[in-house]
Amino acid sequence: MNYAHLHLLLNHFPIIGTIIGLGLFLVSFLGKNSDLRRGSYIVLAAIALISIPTFLSGFGAQLMIKGPGVSDALLQRHQGSALLSLWFMEATGALALIGLWQSQKTSHPARWNVSAVLVLSLLTAGLMARTGNTGGDIRHPEDRPGEAMVAKDGTVTEGTVGSIIRAFEPTPEKFSEAVTFSKWWWTFMMILHFLGLIMIVGTVGLLDLRIMGFLKQLPIAPVHRFLPWAMAGLGVNILTGLLAFIGLPENYIYSGVFWLKMFSLLLLGLNAAVFYLTDIFAGVENLGAGEDAPISAKLIAASSLFLWFAVITFGRYIQPLGDTLRPGN
Amino acid sequence: MAVPLIFNSIEQTTLSTWLRESTSVFGFYFILLFHTIGMSLVVGASAVVDLRILGIASGLPLKPLKRLFTIMWVGLGINVTTGLFLLTAYPTKALTNPDFYIKLTFIALAVTLMRRLSLRVFSDASLDEVAMIAKGKTMAAWSLVCWIGAVSAGRLLSETSKYVLYGHLWGS
Repeated sequence: MNYAHLHLLLNHFPIIGTIIGLGLFLVSFLGKNSDLRRGSYIVLAAIALISIPTFLSGFGAQLMIKGPGVSDALLQRHQGSALLSLWFMEATGALALIGLWQSQKTSHPARWNVSAVLVLSLLTAGLMARTGNTGGDIRHPEDRPGEAMVAKDGTVTEGTVGSIIRAFEPTPEKFSEAVTFSKWWWTFMMILHFLGLIMIVGTVGLLDLRIMGFLKQLPIAPVHRFLPWAMAGLGVNILTGLLAFIGLPENYIYSGVFWLKMFSLLLLGLNAAVFYLTDIFAGVENLGAGEDAPISAKLIAASSLFLWFAVITFGRYIQPLGDTLRPGN
Repeated sequence: MAVPLIFNSIEQTTLSTWLRESTSVFGFYFILLFHTIGMSLVVGASAVVDLRILGIASGLPLKPLKRLFTIMWVGLGINVTTGLFLLTAYPTKALTNPDFYIKLTFIALAVTLMRRLSLRVFSDASLDEVAMIAKGKTMAAWSLVCWIGAVSAGRLLSETSKYVLYGHLWGS
């Protein structure tokens, strides 16, 4: 297993997932089906999460296959395209989560949210398709003129749509330089990353402890009202984390603990899915002061707490254990 | 101003040298990990209490949150302990850096506010929720400001230090 394999394993999820999420979302307009709409939001949020390791493994794969026989211009083009679609995917996922939060209270997301998800998911699906195509061009020249697309001076021939999108795609190297241009900006991002961590541990930790049976005098529903703060913290940390990765990818891709951190985050997503999508959440949502949660909910809460501290632990060791996966180490 | 010689003596001790140079995962970064965990406990629990006083999750009963102060004190205890170890590893680096004193000032203020909130708002049984909020609002807002200041100053330490070790400026 290497990054190229990992990337090939993951890279179909964001493309197909966005199309499925968008499709369900569009169908939900037909019968004003609110369950289907919630379902499409869940798919979009899940795909936004899976897109992160897909993107990260792509950076790793790129460093591995770089060299003779692979067009650098096509790699750069794919990377720029991936960068653009990633930001749109994450924005769509964030809006989907906001919509799910809104629909918890009023059974449907706000009108502005539905319109925003519609626009963003359409754009994301288009950008993802281009990311898939530009990625395919790197390794499947048999399907297309491939190498013939690259002129001697390194420019890539694009179709009409391609050249329009191309104008919006960042150049990966310039993007990296923009993130690392100043140590003060870098430190500012790291400060935000820590404040995000604190918001997550404070609010999710409180909910987990209550469900586990500590602080039992607290009714659960109002504790759960802190969740948007945890989501805001998570949003800040995904943003600052991705920027840090794009700025200094070599600091992360050769670090085993970095991948363990990413794996823990995926497990946290799975844990949250089990919590909210089974009847476990419904079983604890309305517990009042002094009432005990079922064992299934306690297990979910304990896993959440454990996994968040695992994320902090692995994150802290990225610096000293940054080289464990470097070839020849 | 001359750097006090005692910083050099501390750096020469077996403990200080081991903390800096050990490649064990239980060395320097283990201490730093617990410093981060302690921070997440003390600041995370403080932030939740502060936000509640400032009107977030207003359906949550305030009085039972008193038990979160135990978590705050445990977090603070972890961080005083791990902080002393970190200081033992790099005394010159920290103590010649003005930012280190800014960080300590923010922490001192935040902990003072935390103690006041605990004693005057949460331990006064005569207060109902409305009175608790009225009395605690200013403290809660300043507590958030001081913790953000402390975390920021902490992250800025490595960027603002002049010395790595006694007699060793960065880059020399």
